[in-house]
Amino acid sequence: MTGGEILLRSVGVLVALVLGATLTWRLEPRVLESAGVTELGPAAGTHPQGPIGLAPNPDVWLYPAGPIVAVLGVLFGAVVIPLGPDLVGQDLGIGVFYFIVVIDFVVLGLSLGGWGANVRNAAEVYYRAVAQLVSYVVPLGLAYIGAIMMAGSLSTIAIAQAQEGLWFVVLQPLGFALYLVTGAMQAYRPPFVEPFSRHIEHGVYGSSAGWQALLWRLSMSGVLLLVAAMGSVLYLGGWNGPLLPDPLWMILKTLALMVLMLWLGARFRPLSTAEMLALSWKVLTPVGLANVLLVGGLILLGAGP
Amino acid sequence: MSLGEMAEWFAFLVLALISLAGALGMATTMSMFRSGIFLMASFIGVAGLFILLSADLLGLLQIMMYIGGMLVMILFMVLFSMDPGGAMMADMKMSLVERFFSLGLSSGKKDDGGGDMEHGGHDGGGMEHGGDGGDGGGMEHGGDGGDGGGMDMSMTTPVKGWAALLGLANGALLTGLLLLRPAWPESTEQPNPDSAEQIGNLLMGKYMMAFEGAGLLILIGIFGAVLIGRTSRYPDDRSRTAYVTVDAPPPEVEESAGDVVARDSKEGD
Repeated sequence: MTGGEILLRSVGVLVALVLGATLTWRLEPRVLESAGVTELGPAAGTHPQGPIGLAPNPDVWLYPAGPIVAVLGVLFGAVVIPLGPDLVGQDLGIGVFYFIVVIDFVVLGLSLGGWGANVRNAAEVYYRAVAQLVSYVVPLGLAYIGAIMMAGSLSTIAIAQAQEGLWFVVLQPLGFALYLVTGAMQAYRPPFVEPFSRHIEHGVYGSSAGWQALLWRLSMSGVLLLVAAMGSVLYLGGWNGPLLPDPLWMILKTLALMVLMLWLGARFRPLSTAEMLALSWKVLTPVGLANVLLVGGLILLGAGP
Repeated sequence: MSLGEMAEWFAFLVLALISLAGALGMATTMSMFRSGIFLMASFIGVAGLFILLSADLLGLLQIMMYIGGMLVMILFMVLFSMDPGGAMMADMKMSLVERFFSLGLSSGKKDDGGGDMEHGGHDGGGMEHGGDGGDGGGMEHGGDGGDGGGMDMSMTTPVKGWAALLGLANGALLTGLLLLRPAWPESTEQPNPDSAEQIGNLLMGKYMMAFEGAGLLILIGIFGAVLIGRTSRYPDDRSRTAYVTVDAPPPEVEESAGDVVARDSKEGD
């Protein structure tokens, strides 16, 4: 790969991410408001409560580093999302695992920005984001493993190609349901909006302004977009579909999955971090293990590709 | 030198700088939180070096371990340390390196008395070190009988110079070993791009006992945690109730007893 090609691909990924995140940012509040959600989470607009000095005494290194790290995580994650068999930032052999790892940078960014703001409400974001990370990380991994086992590969392209005949959602409805829940948890969407709760003035939103606020919104919309895109690669067959061109199918599936996630999340009241942890360890992790067992049985019986 | 080689060198230098600066910052900064973040940066730099050596799975595993693990570890440091933000230490007499890595730590002095928005860890008013003359005052303060309300003064331990010396000697030794090594065999063979499959086969085949043993060990650890955390003879004790934060704003930060004692002793000076 030449330098020019690398540059072209990087710019392509960046443009796709910004366009997608903007679309998400416009779409999401409408879906949530039509579902009657009051606790909007990261989709909330800015309503600074006090005077404009949002973070009067910040840590000069960590506070600006937060949103930059979060956006970098989303940007790195977008590299492996395929819009078609050849239309991908870079097809990595360990693509899905790479995706799980780099999305963690969003949590790191929230921690840096929250603590660095040196304001009580923002520092609370750090505690809540870490508690949420601990509660989603194991069941999320289990939700990925079902699709990975059946496709026999970690590459996003190979996983989508394995679903040319039949989407994995048909074979593994349990894994898909698990992904819906843990994906919403990873993206901080209702009902898992604890780090962006309005009781702490929307967390990092309440302590940042200007370019930092813009980057927070880009990363938070981007993380929902990427979670939905990865879900449609893992369970809805990626770009596979009749008649329409490949990228259009991928975009449609991503948006449909996003709306489904938000609409389902709007049915439940917001959960506290303690309730999230209980849900994760008592329900989601056993369900994930059961799904792995089921998928193993299906593969032994010869189902799937 | 081709463009690819130059990019490789550039990446190597940047990652090496991140690793070394992160390690140095971890040892010298006055803020617990920053210390953990610097350690994480150092490990992520090392992970980048792994990726540069085509061991991408190993590098990503390292990043995953250290982001999650280090954030949780910092959370515990914040829970159990007196001054996790380093605000009290920030005004003390420091060496140049320490001052650089503690740059911009909020001492709370710029704050115009808006104590209600301050986070507990950064609470500035409680102890003012070296504010009124006497640069070494902070050091002495820790010396005379621990009146800092249990404040940990280990960040300014006199052993620090020896530790730095030991670290430098260690680095020199390792570099010397590397320079004076017997010639390594060179190979033009490309590493296998599908290292994940190989590692998986090794873990589940040759090294299965070690893998399952580690799993068993973690399971026993979980049992231990459940045993310690289970409901005791006093299930109604107020300290055991789950702190549910979603329906109410967090409680106001109260001035702890330690702060009051410290302020009293300060006034008595």
